[in-house]
Amino acid sequence: MLLLTGGCITQFVPETEETQISLVVEGLITDQHEVNTIKLSRSLPLGSRITAKPVSGCEVILSDDQGNSWKLREHGAGIYITDTAEFRGIVGRKYKLTVHANSDLNFYSYESLPMEMKPVPPIDSIYYEKVTIRERTLYRGPAEGCQIYLDARDPEGKCDYFRWDYTETWKIQLPFVMPLNKICWVTENSTAINIKNTSLLASTRIVKYPIRLITNQTDRLTNRYSLLVTQYSLDEEEFKYWDKLRSITEDVGSLYDIIPASINSNIHCIEDPGEKVLGYFSVSAKSMKRIFIEQFFAGLVNPYVSCVTDTVYNNDPIPNLNTSKWILDASPFRVIPSWVTVTDYKGCADCTVRGTKIKPDFWVEDK
Amino acid sequence: MKLKIQIALLTLFLSGTLLAQEEIKISWDYKNQTFNEFVASAESLYNIKFYYRDEWVRDLRPGDFPGITSLNQFLDLLFRNKSLYYLIDNSGDVIITSNFAIRVEDAGIKSGQTYLAPTEYATQEKQVLTGNAFVDIGNPADRNKPGNVTISGYITNRDSKEPVSGVTVFEQKLSAGTISNEYGFYSLPLPRGAHLIQFSFIGMKENQVSVNLYGSGEMNMEMTSTLIPLKETVVSAQKNVIFQRYEVGVEKVNLTSFRLMPTSMGESDIIKNVLLMPGVQSVGEGSAGFNVRGGSSDQNLILMYGAPVYNTSHFFGFFSAVNSDIMRDVTLYKGGIPARYGGRISSVLDITGKEGNRKEFAGNAGISPITTHLMVTGPIKKDTITYIVTGRTTYSNWVLKMINNAALKKSRASFYDLNASITYDVNKNNKIDLAAYMSHDAFRFNSDTVYSYDNNLIALRWRHFFNSRFFAQFSLNNSNYRYDISSESTPSEAFILSHRINSTGLKADFNLYQGRNEINYGAELTRYSVLPGNYRPASDSSFVIARTLQEERALESALYFEDKFTVTDYLSINGGIRFSTFMGFGPAEFMVYDPNYPKSSSTVTDTLNFRANQIYRTYMGPEYRVSLNFRTSQNSSLKLNYNRTRQYLHLLSNTTSISPTDTWQLSDYHLKPQIGDQFAIGYYRMLSRNNIQASAEIYYKEIKNMVDFKGGANLVMNDNVERDLVDVKGRAYGIELLLKKDEGRVRWSLAYTYSRSMLKTTGRFSDEVINNGKWFPANYDRPHDFVGTFNFLFSRRYSFSANYTYTTGRPITYPVSTYNLDDMLIVYYSDRNKYRIPDYMRLDLSIKVGGNLRSHKIANPYWVFSIYNVLGRQNVYSVYFKNENKGINGYKLSVFGKAIPSLSFNFDF
Repeated sequence: MLLLTGGCITQFVPETEETQISLVVEGLITDQHEVNTIKLSRSLPLGSRITAKPVSGCEVILSDDQGNSWKLREHGAGIYITDTAEFRGIVGRKYKLTVHANSDLNFYSYESLPMEMKPVPPIDSIYYEKVTIRERTLYRGPAEGCQIYLDARDPEGKCDYFRWDYTETWKIQLPFVMPLNKICWVTENSTAINIKNTSLLASTRIVKYPIRLITNQTDRLTNRYSLLVTQYSLDEEEFKYWDKLRSITEDVGSLYDIIPASINSNIHCIEDPGEKVLGYFSVSAKSMKRIFIEQFFAGLVNPYVSCVTDTVYNNDPIPNLNTSKWILDASPFRVIPSWVTVTDYKGCADCTVRGTKIKPDFWVEDK
Repeated sequence: MKLKIQIALLTLFLSGTLLAQEEIKISWDYKNQTFNEFVASAESLYNIKFYYRDEWVRDLRPGDFPGITSLNQFLDLLFRNKSLYYLIDNSGDVIITSNFAIRVEDAGIKSGQTYLAPTEYATQEKQVLTGNAFVDIGNPADRNKPGNVTISGYITNRDSKEPVSGVTVFEQKLSAGTISNEYGFYSLPLPRGAHLIQFSFIGMKENQVSVNLYGSGEMNMEMTSTLIPLKETVVSAQKNVIFQRYEVGVEKVNLTSFRLMPTSMGESDIIKNVLLMPGVQSVGEGSAGFNVRGGSSDQNLILMYGAPVYNTSHFFGFFSAVNSDIMRDVTLYKGGIPARYGGRISSVLDITGKEGNRKEFAGNAGISPITTHLMVTGPIKKDTITYIVTGRTTYSNWVLKMINNAALKKSRASFYDLNASITYDVNKNNKIDLAAYMSHDAFRFNSDTVYSYDNNLIALRWRHFFNSRFFAQFSLNNSNYRYDISSESTPSEAFILSHRINSTGLKADFNLYQGRNEINYGAELTRYSVLPGNYRPASDSSFVIARTLQEERALESALYFEDKFTVTDYLSINGGIRFSTFMGFGPAEFMVYDPNYPKSSSTVTDTLNFRANQIYRTYMGPEYRVSLNFRTSQNSSLKLNYNRTRQYLHLLSNTTSISPTDTWQLSDYHLKPQIGDQFAIGYYRMLSRNNIQASAEIYYKEIKNMVDFKGGANLVMNDNVERDLVDVKGRAYGIELLLKKDEGRVRWSLAYTYSRSMLKTTGRFSDEVINNGKWFPANYDRPHDFVGTFNFLFSRRYSFSANYTYTTGRPITYPVSTYNLDDMLIVYYSDRNKYRIPDYMRLDLSIKVGGNLRSHKIANPYWVFSIYNVLGRQNVYSVYFKNENKGINGYKLSVFGKAIPSLSFNFDF
């Protein structure tokens, strides 16, 4: 219809006079014996390309409903951590976060609502299915992707709202003989909101929740891939927070957009209740499960297909070698004329551009 | 039995010079003929018509007077001592009257003369038709009695014999007037004496009749429609129409001008025309629904055949779902809503359907780039049973396939609508009609999600005339709206989502004219059943669990009484009250929440279960409707109006315009009825020798218990919608200025509206508060609105139209900053509706070229060429932001990005 009517979509930069910068609190307290992190930063004006602007020098205090309190230590700008020797979350207790901002910033003191640490059941299983992305045609082969599912249940029925995040790690192996670094591991965190409400189901049973779809447009499935899923248990309010966040960030761009709205945090400013605070202070037990996938998937794209930019014969000198030119392959021994293939892209010759050479601790190869 | 005209008709043509009439000779043998047969013979030989009632002529025996060749002599003899009188008018038609005579005088009323000198009418004199015609009503002997008398009657269309509503009946000297009602009935109290009464209606030839009023009496009028009026009429009573209305804020669509208006994609569109009226706005192009005086789009009651239509658009707003071929009369009440209407806060758009042609088969067909339509009408039994059927469909699927664009090739869009009605005149006092309407839409936009929706309604109406001053209408109707959304993109999640609303209404309306009072009273009963949502798997391989939200049932009833009382010639009052009651009944289950906390699953304190037919909630209350009309001078008037309206049906929508997934919801245990109060003042004045209407209306409106939603609330398949609702109250105010010339060859209008529509949350808890509980603009708040229209009728065959719209952009919530959360980039939005999208401006042009109009019997073709959005301006419909490549990018969406020319071809047959 839009095309029929000559409708169009064009880039648009709104003019807003808003200069208000808000405090962003990003925090998660778990029941694990681990370092819990609270990150404080400030919001960025729209269109800004800086990814973070941390807020340093604050006094960050965690307290529970038993009268205990813990002061967090700043470890890196804007990152406040608990001391594993002193603090570990206990299921059933309520935790509160208090932040006293450094007086020379335009921030005051902030406090969260008391948040109960809810128990979380373990993840039952993580498994995957091949999915057909493209059928075989006369000219092209088929393409396959991988849909990873998750099953969970809570026999005790204490947990109604689930959230998951995940960390993906996959091995890359540059398809050349002589790259600088050939084998690496790439790790990425989830950027989508995965939540599920089971309160309307007869029993808390999650079957085949599609946690991650890997398409053929990446090289995740080329070698060996691993997914670590962390499961959290939310209360209804926090579930709504994530649900709203999802609806305003993911469902936009049609004629019937949901009216965007600002979403209320569970943190408020003590001095000025009208001041907007962004982010959420989450408190949850967590359970984790990992899956490894190593199988043939058809039609995967090869990101290194156009790496070779030049071929140099007869051992001719290569200017700027290893600064703007990198060797990929060389002719087999005694082939005349001898040649080397060269690339202009460092990422083609050095896998550390994308990942790390250090094999992760959890990484196990098949057999 | 040959049925003659049921009602005595007086059709008098008053032009300056009158043509000499053909001498009528009785050349046939009428010895054994009845009077009806005599008339048939006369009508077959000469191009004349006789008007009379059958019961008057039953006893007449033409054979008693054999051998007479002069019609006048014959009728003189035949009618002698029978209290029957006749008049042969300038076209040779014979008008027979009983108990009173029509006299034709050489001269008009002399100035200063109020009473006519007595004249004796013992015998018929030869009629000389050279001047004004006078109609005597009542017994001349009563002429000196005190007090006012009433002249009343029915107005019908000469060609189709349909009643014509909305005709202004106006006595210029006294500036007294009235408007015919939906049965074509009018009733005008006047002092005894001589009066010149004008009958005028948009698109019809104006008639003037001089009457000598001696007592109360009846005068019926036939009016002739004019396709395009050729001459400028100097005196036009139509302009007085707004003076005589009691209500402030009533707008009638000028259907003649409407058909000349530019179209978008070749379709005359009633909703787009309504949008040109001051005080009516929409969120943007391609948005379903409209907003009247700061009301939301679900606060408009749209009636067709007296039954509510729940979705009035095709393609979700690109076209109206109501075919303009079917419309006889369209009236928008944006204030001053009569007591007989209820159930919606902001407005009533009453679309009266045409009745079938009583005389002959006729029709109309048309074709445009998007649609084709056909209308056929005619009598099943002449003058008794008539039908009209119209249909419209699109072939846009074919168009979409033609366009070489991969995205469009995957898109599908189709719709059709059908209207059919049958009218049966059982006898003089009873009339029955049965009408049905259905519309269907199905579309898919470059995806695997298919949207389809259907409106179906059927209405049965029985009009009963107790006598000429007291009548009733009983109606029974059913209206059903449903949608289905299905998606099979991922087989494991393939689903069908359905929503349905069904209402059955029973209504009785009584109209009584008594002296200076016009009394309306009646009762209405509506049963609603709403299926909020049904979600089920679309195939066996789907994992979707079938789920149905609890069905809602309720009964809405109302009693109303209204009196239009003409106190003096300078003051009239319309006072009405409507008492409405709403009862929700089970089976139903509701959660009860702790009133000290926001409604959520954790604050549920109790669950209430109601058995089948057990009433769980009753809401009731009076609705007052009061209007005062002061005539401040010969050509100006001042009107005051207050009305209260209650609404028990809500459209749940958290999108800016009506979207395919919006659902209707009844008031229930938690959701209170909306209550609206509107105060309005209007001043109306004729300018430039009564050629130009000028009006200014000011209104202030308050609405209680509107609903809004918590940020990001999901309303689809939401079992506990009350948890996501935010109580909102609304207030709106504005001034509407209008200058309009609606007659003649050059017609134009200029309308400027300044209005504000504000909302304020009334909740106590933080997540029930929007913008810190301050007033914020509604989505449809567009303060400045200017509309200009221009029509120029070059000749019978050519006409040119233009309209121009300029409005302030609608409010929008912009993202103002971003932040990161778990490596996700999140956008933080400003206060609700703090900013505005760019202003809206559009100019449309159209040219209509008619065929040869010599005779309407032959197919009469016309072409309409129009250009929508001539300036090619990319009016912004919405602005949205996407998270792409770790940055937030803003986009603006324009529905019409360039000028859209279209050509449509229509012909009447």
